[in-house]
Amino acid sequence: MAEPKKLLIIDDDPDFVDAIKSILDGAGYSVDVAYNPKTGLQALQNHVYDLLLLDIMMGRGAEGIMIARKLRKDTKLREMPVLIITGIREQMAFLFPGEPVHPRFVAVDEVVEKPVEPKLLLEKVSTLIDMAEARKAKLT
Amino acid sequence: MDNKPTILIIDDEEVVLDSCTMILVGGNYNVMTAQDGMTGLKLVDELQPDLVYIDLKMPGIPGTEVLEKITEKNPTIVAIVITGYATVTSAVEAMKKGAYDFLPKPFTPDEFRLITKRGLERRRLILETISLRKDKEMLRENFAAIVSHELKSPLGAIQQNLFILSDELSNRLTESEKVKFEHMKSRIDDLIKLINSWLRVYSVDMSKIKDSFTAIPVHDVISNAIEDIQPQAVRKDIQLVTNVSEKLNPIEGDKTSLEEALVNIIGNAIKYSYPSSKVFVNAVENNGNIEIDVIDTGVGIAEEELPNVLSDFYRGGSAQSVEGSHGIGLTVSRKIIEAHNGTICVKSQLSHGTTFTIRLPSMKKKV
Repeated sequence: MAEPKKLLIIDDDPDFVDAIKSILDGAGYSVDVAYNPKTGLQALQNHVYDLLLLDIMMGRGAEGIMIARKLRKDTKLREMPVLIITGIREQMAFLFPGEPVHPRFVAVDEVVEKPVEPKLLLEKVSTLIDMAEARKAKLT
Repeated sequence: MDNKPTILIIDDEEVVLDSCTMILVGGNYNVMTAQDGMTGLKLVDELQPDLVYIDLKMPGIPGTEVLEKITEKNPTIVAIVITGYATVTSAVEAMKKGAYDFLPKPFTPDEFRLITKRGLERRRLILETISLRKDKEMLRENFAAIVSHELKSPLGAIQQNLFILSDELSNRLTESEKVKFEHMKSRIDDLIKLINSWLRVYSVDMSKIKDSFTAIPVHDVISNAIEDIQPQAVRKDIQLVTNVSEKLNPIEGDKTSLEEALVNIIGNAIKYSYPSSKVFVNAVENNGNIEIDVIDTGVGIAEEELPNVLSDFYRGGSAQSVEGSHGIGLTVSRKIIEAHNGTICVKSQLSHGTTFTIRLPSMKKKV
């Protein structure tokens, strides 16, 4: 059997992460968790993941956006698909004055709103991973 | 700095200045005086007084000019003019230029005390209004951040755990236990939606959705909205009847928002319908507009209440006893439709039903 896909969740809400993780565990993914942006970035440097599930509003504001932006500048990590899971809807993202947190400010692959139906989550995750692999296959 | 109000009196007659100062002694004020307009204006800059008395008839800069300069410098300073020649015209003229009141000479100490009190009260109200307005603005700006994080996050986490729990337990739960799970999920879902609506009404700059406008087939918006709201209709045994022409031009807009607007309006129609009745959703194209009618044959809305229906925080009153409505949905719908350069209007007849008509500009066919 193929290696399980490796996912990383970066989200500062442990109760939420627990629930998401058990959905993904149940579907056979190998899931790592980081509860803040800093350890999240460290994990991304030290391991290779097939997909990142990223929260937007963490810590002092839209720190998730900062992570997404860093990833897009990193030649290696750029290829990894990112699924944003956020409590704020797209429009809400305009609300934080002076902070360009609109998800479209960074090229993310998908945005889902919290809470997310398990079925929808698994669909998005597998679609994004498949797409990334298809991209990779094309390049090589 | 102490909190005593500062009063400045500008008058060229020393006797007036002295007597006024005397009258106000013991009244817990800081009283300052100036004998001409120039000195007076300088003191205004330095002291930022709460209340200024200005004699209209002075050598040097005329009183009216001093008055104008003061209101220009700081419109929150209350200015009262003292007129030696108690003519109505000069007083009216001064009021037009921003004076709050006028004091005709000669005046009694009581008159002077009273008008001072009133002037300071006015000043207090002006400052209070400004600070309340600021608070309101702050609240509005912070509301979104507070609400989304402090209220929505815990609800989202609860809901997420319910999702996974009911999935994991699905083999072991009895039907009635599953129903209880569904109840919990649906109530939390209601709460999350309510919070979203609040955010929409108070904090979201709706015009920003224009950035994500695309061409949307009217048919899709309506059928998605109907699909979303169907469970509510089924619960009340209400039939949703749609009559949407296939050939309508698309509209330019944000699909999610438009669907939300329609869901609110159709949901409202269901809520105020009698059980086992019908709700109609019709769409036609008329003069470059897409017109969507949502028609119910329910309790209707009294004529005097109609203007309130689409305003902030309305909720159907007396005549109806209905399950929890938060009344804010229609306001959200109106704001969404207006952000799409559309309009919404409502017609109703008590006990006969209500019709909401949405008009949205359609996109021109590409030639």
